[in-house]
Formats: sequence, structure tokens, C-alpha cells
Amino acid sequence: MESRVLKPILAVYVVAFILFLYGPFFVLTIISFQQGPDGGPQFPITEWSLYWYKQIFGLTPPSRIAPLPVGEALVRSLILAFMTMVTATVLGVMSAQAFRRKFRGSTFVFYMIVLGMMVPGVLTGLGTSLLANNVIGITRHWYTTAFATHVAYTYPFAFLVMLAILNRFDASVEEAAWSLGVKPWTTFRKVTFPLIFPGVLSAMLFAFTLSLDEFPRSLFAAGGSEDQTLPLAIYGTFSVEIHPNIFAFGVLTTLFSFALLSVYGILMAMSVRRARKLAMQEDIA
Amino acid sequence: MATQAEIFRIDGVSKSYGGVKALDGVTLEAGVNEYLSLLGPSGSGKTTLLRVIAGFEAPDSGRVFFQGRDVTHLPAHERGIGFVFQNFALFPHLTVRQNVAFGMANGVEKVAEAEIAERTQSVIDMVGLTGMEDRGVEQISGGQRQRVALARTLVMHPKLVLLDEPLGALDANLRGRMRNELRAIRERMGVTFLHVTGSETEALAMGDRVVVLDRGQIIQSGTPDDVYSTPASPAVAHFLNRFNLFEGSLSGGNFTGPFGAVAAPTARRASEDVYAIRYDRVRVVPAASKVTGPALTARYVASEYLGSSVMNFFETADGKVVEVEHHLSLGAPETYEARQNYLLTWEPDQAIVFGREGK
Repeated sequence: MESRVLKPILAVYVVAFILFLYGPFFVLTIISFQQGPDGGPQFPITEWSLYWYKQIFGLTPPSRIAPLPVGEALVRSLILAFMTMVTATVLGVMSAQAFRRKFRGSTFVFYMIVLGMMVPGVLTGLGTSLLANNVIGITRHWYTTAFATHVAYTYPFAFLVMLAILNRFDASVEEAAWSLGVKPWTTFRKVTFPLIFPGVLSAMLFAFTLSLDEFPRSLFAAGGSEDQTLPLAIYGTFSVEIHPNIFAFGVLTTLFSFALLSVYGILMAMSVRRARKLAMQEDIA
Repeated sequence: MATQAEIFRIDGVSKSYGGVKALDGVTLEAGVNEYLSLLGPSGSGKTTLLRVIAGFEAPDSGRVFFQGRDVTHLPAHERGIGFVFQNFALFPHLTVRQNVAFGMANGVEKVAEAEIAERTQSVIDMVGLTGMEDRGVEQISGGQRQRVALARTLVMHPKLVLLDEPLGALDANLRGRMRNELRAIRERMGVTFLHVTGSETEALAMGDRVVVLDRGQIIQSGTPDDVYSTPASPAVAHFLNRFNLFEGSLSGGNFTGPFGAVAAPTARRASEDVYAIRYDRVRVVPAASKVTGPALTARYVASEYLGSSVMNFFETADGKVVEVEHHLSLGAPETYEARQNYLLTWEPDQAIVFGREGK
């Protein structure tokens, strides 16, 4: 009886939630096909065209609307996200590995690490900027100060993912390797790492995507205009006038993210299928 | 035992986990080419003992010697002691061949490719896995995984192999077969096995010597026959799962229990007064019979057919279950009426009596 009432309500709720989640993106996508260069971000659109997509790639004749100043910022953001991903994942794996044994002060260290994702980004950004300018006296750059804040932010995510993975990891395969005369480090490379790789992949994805669209920390920690990351560059264009080229760019980056997720999904499905086959065989045997 | 050269010795090893003593001053040694089985209930510290010898855990006190060398603080990968896990702990991402070759291919000592290939193949042939070399370890049965685990360890030519309930994860049929194979393989390789088990039949069947562990202490050590026919304490008799144990009191050479007072001239010293009689030494007679010696009235409850024998369960007035085993080689089993009283009796000189007065 209960489900007859509850189920429709939940269904409506879910639909509303999805609309709310994807609605803005749909509107954005539609407006990105606005005619140019005179069409603005109004709805419904006056005429369908690919003008703004062409404009992003510099395929339109010059007009009064300047091309989006995102080229270099995009490259910077991708490099920064990659650097952050590698650093945060390595740190996350190493510290999660350390947490497999209880050590003195482990609870304290745990909270210190997790703090990085709890502290408001604006505070971290502002604090880093003050520290760099007034205390240490170094120039802020996207690859130094901003990089540090991105790592502090994404490292806890990578750490928690790896902690969950290693929590379920059966340590007897490592002991088996040791008893065969294999050094702990070789054991880690040849046994532990291949087995925790799905988790490492998740940690990498978290770190990369969180860094790529990070805004508040970069805002303060990234220095001047020659240090702008992609979110900062896009934010900069808002202050003048908004044209549909920004929406076209948004669609492209979203597609890029989906592509990234698909690669992740495929890699994950492959290793999960292997694990499931393993579990099934164990049931039979 | 003392005549054999010693391969390993542990000396007064203790280990606690958060205040709970898992090992309490254990001293044990094994000779070259000996098959030692270590019997104990779960929680007796038997797995901890193996892990200390293997080097996965450091003892709180005491020393571990291997081949005459003090290895107490040597890391596991430098000891050269083989370990076979209960869950096999195979490398799930590698094939059978890669699992077996793993130690040689990744070990500290470099082994030539050709030698790796040759040794791997000969061990795979020995454990009967020929033709399975390129299967993933998830594509083979439980018994085959057990063989891979064994092959992976034996290919390193260890002088000592520790087996942690290696047959526990197999079904009964396979367990029997693997038991024979383990013994045969060990004899061919000339290596010392220390086999931990919670199964008394396994311990008695496999070991040249059986060591019984309880609450972190060794309570008996001897040949299977010694342990089986003369358990050193009520606890050992209890683990062997072959004795009916009765409480009572021993005084002046007589044991008084629920079955009356019986002479017990050969009582052994123990911290409590316990009377033990083997399941297959108890006779069942009609309730009205006159018997001399021990006589215990009990109600027939049920029986269990075990293939070579039948186990009959009786219950005394105070709710204690008494087991009576009838070997089928001695003739067809008698049938008993459910919920009817019978008289249980036995020859007093076949009982084992423990008591504070004992010698």
C-alpha cells in the first residue's frame, strides 16, 4: 500500500531532480546554436547556426565580437589538472598505504589531510595569496601557488578513495609474495598496484576534474592575467558582455568531460568484469 | 626426534594483541624433513605462531631460529620460509605459470630465464597441473588453486613450509585426496612441513608428530598414536573429539562420577578431576541388565551413519550427551528405541582418568 503512494512521489521527485540538473545544460546547448554575430543569449533563438562554434576555432571573418580569450588558459588548465592529478594521486596512494597500519597520531594526520576538502576554497586561496605575497615574498603563478592549493584540495579525495579501496584489500597476497622472497617494493609494484588500479583510476579522475574547474582557490592564488586558468578566463569574459560563444565553448568542454568519463567507464568495466568473473568462479568452486 | 638435525626452533615466544595473549612462552622445534602438525581450536594462537615463524609478525619476546640462525628480526622476504595460506592468496591478475614463477622472476636472487621456465614446468608437472599453465587462477577449481599455491611455494626450494589450514577451504572429498598428495609431495621434496589445522583427524593423519596448542601454550607434543591414546590433559582429550568426558571426583584411587564409583589406579595428574572414555569403547545394554563396573542410564536420542561406523547419541538425566561409536566391521549396528532408557557401560581399564591426585 505504502509503495503505491510513495513510488509515484519518488518518481516525480527524481524527474524533477534530473530536469533541474540537466535543464541549464539543455538551454545552454540550444543557445549555443544561435545565429551570429548579432544574435545574443536570448531564448527562444532567432535562427539556428554553427556560427559560434566556428568562431571559437577562428573560422569566422573578424567582427565586433572578440574571440574568446581561452586558448592559452585552456592549455594552462589542462597542464595544471594533469600535474595536480599525478601529485594528488601519488600522495593519496602513499598516505592511504601508510594508514593500513595504525600509527601514533594517525587520527590527527587523517583530519589534517581531510581538512583540505573541508576548508572553504576562498579562504585557502586568499590565505595562500597572503602567504606568498606578504610572508614568503614570492610571485604567484598558476604552476606554483595555484598548483599547491589544487593539490591540497584534491589530495583528500584521492586519499579517501584509496583508503576505501585498501580497506577491502586482502593483504595475504602481499604476504605470499614476501614469503616467496620478493622485496616489499617489488611486491607493491607487481601485486598491490595492479590489484588496486581501479581505485587509482577513480582517484585520478577525481583529482583531474576537480582541478580542471576549480575556481575560488585559483582566483586568489593564480596571479595575474598571464596566469589565468580556464574558469578564470571564462569568468573574465562575463564582466564585459555575454555572447553565445561562451555557451558553445561550454558544450565543447562538457563533451570533453563526457569523453573522459567514458574512457574511465570502459577501463573500470573491464577491471570490474575481471573481478566479477573471479568472484563467480569462487562461488562455483 | 632429537636425533634429527634441527631446522627451526622457537624459544619462549610470546605475542599479545591489545592485552590478549595469543602466544604465551611457546617453545617448539622441528627436525629436517619432519612433518609436524599443530592442532588447536580457533583462537588457540596457532595461526599467530605460523605468522611469527614466517616473519609477518614480530614476537613481543622470545627468539626464532631457522637453520641455526637467529631470524627473529629478519623481514619475511629474507627468511626463505614457504607459506601456504588457507585462502591460497594466489595473485589473481596472473596465470598459473606466472603465479608459480613469481618468486623466481621477482625475487632478490636473479634466476636465469631458462632455469625459471624449467623449474616452473617441472613443479607444475609434479602437482598435476600440466596443461593448465596459461589459465588465469580464477579459471581453475579450488583443488587446482591449492596445487598452484603449493607449487608456487615449493618451486623456491624452501627448507621449511608453513601451511595454515591448507585444506580448510576444500570439500571433504578433495581434502582426503590432497592429504595423500601433500604427504607424497613432501616425501619427494625432503622439506619440513609445519601444518596448522583445527581438525583432529587431519592432525592425526598427517603428522609425524602432533603438537596441541591451547590458549597460546603447547599442552602436548608427541606421535599421533601417543596423543590419541594417551592425551596429556582433559583439554587435549576434548580437542581430539573422540572421548566422552565426565566430571566427578577422584579420591583414594577411586573416581566417582554419574556412572558410580570406579577404581582408577592409573589416574594422571591434572588441574581438574575428569574421566574420559573413548566413543568406541562404550557398550550399550538393556536398561534392566545387571553390570559390574561403571553403569550410566541414558536415553537414546538419535544416530548418525558415518560410512564405516555408526555414531549413537544418548542423553543422561542431567542433559549430558554421551556418544557411542559402533564400528561396522564389528557387525551390523543394533537398533535402539527412541526415547528409551539404556545402560551404558565399559571396561574401566580402557578409561583415562585425570585428577588432582593423579601421578
